[in-house]
Amino acid sequence: MEMKELRGSRGVLAAVALLIIFIGVTVAFVQLNGNVARGISPEYNRLAHLQQPNSLSAWVYDWRGFDTLIETGVIYVGAVVSVLVIGRGLVRMKQVEGEEPVPQTSLDLKIGSVNAILKYFIFPLVILLAAYGILIVTGAATSGGGGFQCGVVVASAYLIGAVFFGKKNPLNFRRKFLIAIGSFGWALYALLGLPGYLVTGYWQYNVGTDLWSSIAGFPAQIPSILHTIFGDPYRLALVLKGGTFYSTAGIVPLINIGEAFNVIGAICLIFLVFIYGWSDTEEAKA
Amino acid sequence: MSAVATNLWTIPLFVIIPIITAILLNLLYNKSRTIKVIAIASSIVLFVLALISPYGFQWFTGQPGVTPGGTYTFDASIFSYRLSLEYYFGGLQQILITIMSLLLVFVVFLSASSLRKNIGPYIALIFLLFMSSAIIIMVNDFYHLWIGVEMGSLLLAGVVAASGESISQKAALKYTFFSALSGAGMAIALAMILGVTGYSNITNAIQYIMSDNLSSLSGVLYIAFGFFVLSWIYAGGLAPIHPLKSDVYGSAFPHATVMLQTQSKLMIVAMGLIILRLFGTLPFAREVMLSVSVLTMIMGVTMALIQTDLRWTLAYLVVAHSGLVTLGISLGTVQGITGGLFQAVNDIVYMSVLLICCEAVMYFGKGTSIKTVGGIAKRAPWLALAVVIGAFAASGVPPFNGFQSEIILIQASLSSGLPEVAAIVLMVSVTTFIALFKPIYNIFLKPDNSPIAMEGDAGAGIATMAMVQPTSPVPKSIYLFLAILIAIIIVLGVYPQLALGFVQDTAIKVVYFPWVP
Repeated sequence: MEMKELRGSRGVLAAVALLIIFIGVTVAFVQLNGNVARGISPEYNRLAHLQQPNSLSAWVYDWRGFDTLIETGVIYVGAVVSVLVIGRGLVRMKQVEGEEPVPQTSLDLKIGSVNAILKYFIFPLVILLAAYGILIVTGAATSGGGGFQCGVVVASAYLIGAVFFGKKNPLNFRRKFLIAIGSFGWALYALLGLPGYLVTGYWQYNVGTDLWSSIAGFPAQIPSILHTIFGDPYRLALVLKGGTFYSTAGIVPLINIGEAFNVIGAICLIFLVFIYGWSDTEEAKA
Repeated sequence: MSAVATNLWTIPLFVIIPIITAILLNLLYNKSRTIKVIAIASSIVLFVLALISPYGFQWFTGQPGVTPGGTYTFDASIFSYRLSLEYYFGGLQQILITIMSLLLVFVVFLSASSLRKNIGPYIALIFLLFMSSAIIIMVNDFYHLWIGVEMGSLLLAGVVAASGESISQKAALKYTFFSALSGAGMAIALAMILGVTGYSNITNAIQYIMSDNLSSLSGVLYIAFGFFVLSWIYAGGLAPIHPLKSDVYGSAFPHATVMLQTQSKLMIVAMGLIILRLFGTLPFAREVMLSVSVLTMIMGVTMALIQTDLRWTLAYLVVAHSGLVTLGISLGTVQGITGGLFQAVNDIVYMSVLLICCEAVMYFGKGTSIKTVGGIAKRAPWLALAVVIGAFAASGVPPFNGFQSEIILIQASLSSGLPEVAAIVLMVSVTTFIALFKPIYNIFLKPDNSPIAMEGDAGAGIATMAMVQPTSPVPKSIYLFLAILIAIIIVLGVYPQLALGFVQDTAIKVVYFPWVP
């Protein structure tokens, strides 16, 4: 839609509609002020420290962990669709002559115009950003970080590298590599639900943390081998006012790693194909 | 009361199998044979799972429910606040997912056979489309519903844009742009419901709304209702934004439209039922939904009448018939909802027949316009028979399935004191018949008058015509799929109780126990 289409009666209608929505939403939020129900959140907060110091991570990757799996899928799908629009995986019907897809060309990125001195500053920045991303994901259970944050930080490093160094990017990711790590990340996240499913029937039950198997009605006991594999490597001692508590985030740190791979693969791939386009011929040669 | 399972084993598989399959297919990219084997095997597994699955819940991540007394339970029949993300698989879910997975088998087979170039990502998107639809129909959680709808919109855009043609890319882009707006609207609605109730679990939110006096917050509920309905309209392609969805249906490959229209039906059913459960008691809520439905039916069939291309006629009819589904739900009575849900089932099946026939017409190499193609019945009589049966079913002619659901909708409208709505349903049936028989006559029954055909006729004597006439280029698999779908159409037309048994339970719950998923 072009802006000129909004002139005249259409524009007036759009403005009136927006005004009505604005007033409605404002009135609703004013009514909500002071009346927000806490609902289930106190229960989540009460339980979070039994798992890990980073309550947000507990919420996102455990209580709502399956929700986040599908949300992560949105990023993966976003990458597949974006790359498809550019040219990867366009299909034709065998018997039908149709319009040929418009060939996609790469952006006119003139890295020669970037000041040479600036490049020397950018190089360590790219490396530091990538390292910072790794730091975030490895400390996700104890800090405010997580897989998604790692992914976007590394992707930012990649984009900066692409803008300043072009194809000589210090993070020289190739298309196939990015597709592979994105796929690996989402698959890892999805399959981390398997141990809990096989033992308890609940997909993505956190067998490492295992908060609920002692509650009446829970369908199974978790074998100790699963505690050893998924729980012990991430065990922490939390020194709180009430005493020292031992907790483990269980499969959450691994989920964070899967999430990080997925986000790095997906976002970098989107950057890469939007800058350089997609050519199956080039890809085959590579 | 016996314990209700909260770890139903089949539910996660409806999500995880498509994810893993999609990832594999995307990686395989151009290995057509392997892709075909994996995709067909995976879709068959999903179909069998849907067919044999028992009913129950899945509380993902295995967190318990918290009872008002502060104890924990893993029994869904005990009143509790859910810590887990909750899915439910019941009769409605079973019939819809079974039909969708059957269609997935057909669509995967058709796309793997009829498409060239690198089919991995395309079929991967079709699997994820199945997954998002399954999520939407099973989920009992607002936030997750939103993610399912968002992902579904994105996948729809990908499947449509996959042909790379300018018309499909334009339709996909336009739809993505507007669905982003509706997604934002839905997010606002959910934020308000979450603010008012504190629960993203739909059962818990409804229980809270019903048990607490929220009269001081009625404005918030109305605004949430408004945004929710807006998302419903966008997700389902209902009026007044129906041209966006029709563009999408018309510019995708017909086999892809089979999945897209199925996804749309599931979205309007799932979201419509949630709107009814949550806001059904608000004054004017049902009237708003009813108005949208009536407008959709009228606009859809009117636009279908003026089309000259079978693909586009079907694109508008899919929209018009979505209005029939939402009409039943909007009536808000047990009979109305039953009719709406049954209509959704029937609509998915007979529209799939028509769309697969449309795809078959494309094999003759002249497109699907009434101006370019003709005389198909002579070369493919079984195809002509299939399209006529599909058209009869869509027009509500007995003894086909469309008749049974439309008669329930008419009766439900009359029982609700809305004879004018019943008349509109009748009008939609008749207009569907007229809209469909124009292209059917021209494409199938009218002699092919194109220059190539005329040349062929002139050069061959009548005695040798049978020998030189080329056989139908339509693959035999298409005839097999059409035969199966037509069998379903006839069986449901003669024994509607087979499907009604699956959907009536949901209708009763929505009207009398709205908090029960």
